[in-house]
Amino acid sequence: MLLPKFDYNAPSDLEEACQIMANYGDQAKLLAGGTDLLIALRKKSVTPAQIVALDRIEDLEGGWGDEEGFFLGSRTTAAEIAESDYGPAGQALAQAASQVGSPLIRNLATIGGNLATAMPAADMAPPLLALQASVVLQKYGARREVAISDFFVAPGEQVMLAEEIMSLIFIPELPAGSGGAFEKLGVRKALERSIVSVATVISLDDDGKTINQVRIALGAVAPTPMLAVNAAAGLCGKKATAKNFTEAGKTAAQEAQPRGLRTSALYSRLMVETLTVRALNRAFDAASQ
Amino acid sequence: MKKCHITFQLNGITCEVLVNPNQTLVRMLRDDLGLTGTKYGCGEGDCGSCTVLLDGEPVNSCLMLAAQVDGHQITTIEGLADGDKLHPLQTSFIEKGAIQCGFCTPGMILSAKNLLETQPNPSELEVRTAISGNLCRCTGYQKIVEAILATASPDCQCSSGDAKNCHEED
Repeated sequence: MLLPKFDYNAPSDLEEACQIMANYGDQAKLLAGGTDLLIALRKKSVTPAQIVALDRIEDLEGGWGDEEGFFLGSRTTAAEIAESDYGPAGQALAQAASQVGSPLIRNLATIGGNLATAMPAADMAPPLLALQASVVLQKYGARREVAISDFFVAPGEQVMLAEEIMSLIFIPELPAGSGGAFEKLGVRKALERSIVSVATVISLDDDGKTINQVRIALGAVAPTPMLAVNAAAGLCGKKATAKNFTEAGKTAAQEAQPRGLRTSALYSRLMVETLTVRALNRAFDAASQ
Repeated sequence: MKKCHITFQLNGITCEVLVNPNQTLVRMLRDDLGLTGTKYGCGEGDCGSCTVLLDGEPVNSCLMLAAQVDGHQITTIEGLADGDKLHPLQTSFIEKGAIQCGFCTPGMILSAKNLLETQPNPSELEVRTAISGNLCRCTGYQKIVEAILATASPDCQCSSGDAKNCHEED
């Protein structure tokens, strides 16, 4: 099937890309990995006059860290993230990336695209919420940083302006004794959109038993990826015990807002509870190492 | 719609092509360059029959614009044989009866080629994971997995084809 007609731009640096986007605005669509955009073009659900490919911009590739935390270029692929070592907490992100689509999709799909597409089931969103990540959005002459918790608006909608380009994802440094985990429920192991996904990040006190900080993020059970704030608040300052984790799982299930689209709302909530407990246990194990 | 002038390596040969910007990679390979070994299946990245190697990594060529391969290396199934001498994976697929209708075979072999280059002695699970983006509608997965494992360990005679376990038993 033929794709709609458009012109193709392949800027070689971010400034040039920002200039092109400033010129064309909503007439243009950004092409990162293309695993969502090409399908949308084929279905003609988007018909941009211009495509702006980001794959020549080296600044958008790969990751690096400093004392404040870790930076990831928005064009880093799911395959690259899946094979990276981000430490005991950041492994939640690597685990999520390793379950995106299929090996073929992961070699193309990017973290920036996964976020910008803003699907409720986006695999890499919950770990980034749990890691308190933020994204850097650039347009010609300006840049802003947006917390992931403020990024998503509705299914398929986020806060980016038409002329903005996501350049970086920033993951702040966590205290020693932190660990993370990601759990995904699907009916098959590959090419599966999550029915429910949960990411947790736990930071333990020096005693190795008391929870100092914890965040629980849920995917596919609300119009946007979301934080289960009450479940996390209920765990803070408490001991990491099976009873407390079960309680947190029940609270997270109540906080979820499943619409019963891909499975019944009741089943979604039950699975939020189960997966939250599993993810908390695994995050605790990672934090204890 | 301004055409794009692209230069890339296709099966080791430098290609210069003028393509429409809305041409997908699979369409350019099949319709413009006549390399019909790459199959066009679902067109949405679900079936893997359009798999090619982009700088050695398997990708869905239906999800790429042809213009994106400018400056890159593409390997299609036509690039595997050395003259009349088939690639060991191709020979193994024939010997093990891993080809039924054949539509998924090019994609299966290219995904397997990448696996064996990164993991020369894979487990059965690693093989199944590596081909998890390639669907076989004849559901001949068992023979395909055996053919890939047998390529990794040609001396392995065990019926399960699990080369790793076979070596451990040795």
